[in-house]
Amino acid sequence: MSHIAMSDLRKSYGARDAVAGLSLTIGPGVTGLLGPNGAGKTTLMRMVATVLAPTSGDLRLLGLDPADREQRTEIRRRLGYLPQEPGFHRHFTAFEFVDYVAILKEMTDTRARHREVRRALELVGLGDVAGKRIRKISGGMRKRVALAQALLGEPQLLVLDEPSAALDPEQRLRFRELVSELGGDERIVLVSTHQTEDVAALCQRVIVMRDGHAAFDGTPAQLSGVADNRVWIAGSRDPRARLWWRTSEGLHRHVGDPPAGAQLVKPTIEDGYLLLVGPAAVPDAVAA
Amino acid sequence: MTWHVQSELLAQYARGDIDEAHAFSIEAHLPSCAHCRAQIAPLVDDARLAQAWEVIEERLDAPRRGPLEAGLARLGVPGHVARLLGATPALRLSWLLACAIVLAFAVLAATRREAGLYWFLVLAPLLPLAGIALAYGPDVDPTYEIGLAAPMRSFTLLLIRALAVLVATTALAGLAALALPGLHPSAAGWLLPSLGLTLASLALATRISPVVACGSLGVLWMLVAGAGWRLAQEPLVVFGATGQLACALLAALAALVLIRDVDSFDRRGDLT
Repeated sequence: MSHIAMSDLRKSYGARDAVAGLSLTIGPGVTGLLGPNGAGKTTLMRMVATVLAPTSGDLRLLGLDPADREQRTEIRRRLGYLPQEPGFHRHFTAFEFVDYVAILKEMTDTRARHREVRRALELVGLGDVAGKRIRKISGGMRKRVALAQALLGEPQLLVLDEPSAALDPEQRLRFRELVSELGGDERIVLVSTHQTEDVAALCQRVIVMRDGHAAFDGTPAQLSGVADNRVWIAGSRDPRARLWWRTSEGLHRHVGDPPAGAQLVKPTIEDGYLLLVGPAAVPDAVAA
Repeated sequence: MTWHVQSELLAQYARGDIDEAHAFSIEAHLPSCAHCRAQIAPLVDDARLAQAWEVIEERLDAPRRGPLEAGLARLGVPGHVARLLGATPALRLSWLLACAIVLAFAVLAATRREAGLYWFLVLAPLLPLAGIALAYGPDVDPTYEIGLAAPMRSFTLLLIRALAVLVATTALAGLAALALPGLHPSAAGWLLPSLGLTLASLALATRISPVVACGSLGVLWMLVAGAGWRLAQEPLVVFGATGQLACALLAALAALVLIRDVDSFDRRGDLT
């Protein structure tokens, strides 16, 4: 049973629903979770990573029930998790830190564990800095160290919460290559991100979250299709647009219901995303 | 190069079936003789070669252990347990040094006046409590969330760290007790309270956070010890036979609660 299944899944904090009755099935491959801050992405990722119990609803991971202790442990044996803000024991070297997590993942045979730690660090391109202390490496490198620990043991379910944050453009490119290779026939990779470019480059499927709900569920092409015939360019701001922003060429790009004769342009994933979630998703965009 | 290793000796060497003197001789010869290297190459089993490389790689790349992990290894603690303890704030040198300084002041107080022994006996059980409060939890362990998603049970990690903290602080307090004036029998009176409070803090941690559990018990312990002194007009009354029996009962009761409620610790440890 290689999939994530949730039915009417809910996580509430007081009167507020961070995740408000989600029903989804996610199979193998790379699935992107897109949404503005506060949409419920991290709450959902944490529930899928078994570190946060749902308030109500049904959740099955790899055919197992995370509410049951034995089954939860079995899920964790097959899980790799990169939290949104991973913490480190900074006096450890990169190798020692990943080795520490490998021990928590029940790898007690020293030689086999060290081999696996080296493999994970090589995968994220940190083989050469394995001996450096965490406190002495850059933020981007730390993020890759955290990614390395998630890759230990070739997990069947990989949950990556904003993995490309803090990476420079070159590192982001390497990260995309790596993650796209990871999403194979059997492995489920769930990636949450603010970056629509990540979704375009990585994901076979994208789920857009808004206010704890799934506002969209489809392919990246379908997401950009949401904005078909609804994006136009003009020399000045059009007050009829739902959103608009100035492009680097000094023109105004509008999203919404175009006026007759408007100069329509091919929509991007970002346009579709903006139409779904509004200006909260992109700080430069302005609601009309 | 005017000589070569006999074929039979090369075959024995490749099988690992040769005495040390011949092995050393062949190993000294091979780097400078392409002919013998070519002869031995097809004789070496691939699996054996891979294993040898792995051993070399491990020796070259394995991280050097820090002072704490090296010390624990010398005491016979397995390497993976030592690494788990290496991430425990309450086992860092700075923390242990702070404990030693606190104990030194308590011993100093005990040498100046009789009531000083009271402060030593009250303080010694508080040290493992403070250590456990800093051993595990969302507020003190930066890798808490990553650890939660791993299959090792949270309680196992807390227990390993709590045990190490208890052993370390008990050893420090034991050494400090030897420096107390006159080696009064009451000087060992902190041992059972230490054990009782440590187990009680772990039992409470199945219901509330370790920091709150340890903090509450620490305050309660100081109140009980102070009230005993005031009521009986005798500073060490809490450390007498009745007090020791109460601490032993507390330890036993806490152990039972721990065994019964260990599962709820793992579930309660979830993020909120």
